[in-house]
Amino acid sequence: MENIHIEGKHGVNFIPTVDFNAETGVCELAGESYLEDTIEFYTPLYDWLKQYTTEVKKPLVFNFRLRYFNTSSSKCIIDILNILKRYETAGGDVTVNWYYDAEEEDIEDELEEIEDFMIETNIKINLVPN
Amino acid sequence: MNTAENAYQMYIDLIDSTIISYNGPFDAQVLSVIAENIEYSLSNNPRVSKKLFKIFIELAQNISYYSAERQKNDEGNLYGVGILMLREFKDHYSFSTGNLIEKKHILPVIQKCETINILDRQKLRQYKRKLRNMPSGVPGGGNIGLVQVALTADYPLEYSVVPVDDENSFYILNVRVNKN
Repeated sequence: MENIHIEGKHGVNFIPTVDFNAETGVCELAGESYLEDTIEFYTPLYDWLKQYTTEVKKPLVFNFRLRYFNTSSSKCIIDILNILKRYETAGGDVTVNWYYDAEEEDIEDELEEIEDFMIETNIKINLVPN
Repeated sequence: MNTAENAYQMYIDLIDSTIISYNGPFDAQVLSVIAENIEYSLSNNPRVSKKLFKIFIELAQNISYYSAERQKNDEGNLYGVGILMLREFKDHYSFSTGNLIEKKHILPVIQKCETINILDRQKLRQYKRKLRNMPSGVPGGGNIGLVQVALTADYPLEYSVVPVDDENSFYILNVRVNKN
């Protein structure tokens, strides 16, 4: 199974950095997510995760290091978490970490959003201050 | 003051308070220039800058997707047309947007604003989670941008709809963020 690497870019749109590694089972989504076509960008990531969780079936660690995401991207984050939750329910070994900048002002808003992700998808997200 | 002096004072106040003002199609290129301007103009206040940026993206995308007036950009893609202003006041910043909406969309838009304004923060988060789980394209569902705007702003949404002609009305939205 191929790895996915997408270099993030802060241009007209904000493309997040993506690193999905099929050998180590470590997946990272970092930077900023605000895209012209959000679904088009995230669909290959869903497909990768679905293939990994149904064929490779090894432990999976998902690290979020997002500084900014718009509401369209937040729907895609929900979709990712739902795939991970299904894997966990099926007996898969899943760890989800959310790295955040503890120094950032108004971090409460971000933490609230992550709490909402947990409530919506029923998956545990470990909050890790940087 | 007579009318002319009043109008002049209004003009001066507007010029003095305006940080950004834009009228035209909301394509990705324009959005990115305005977003950069927001970050640059408020670089001395990162907390407010981040809030205004988050609010801007959602308001601008709403105009881009839902404005009834559409215009082709240089690449020939159609984008929603509207106006946007960011103004600075003594203790707050204010984003105002305006765009045409079709008559049939007035009621859902007003209802959404009303719903958002009567909910407290916890209920608003609940509403956001509910909407986010509805598929896009379902009436009233899908778009959670305005809910996120309300969660990020420090005041209730201020909105009004002004009739324009038989088909369209003008939808105005004002969102305020405290300086401190």
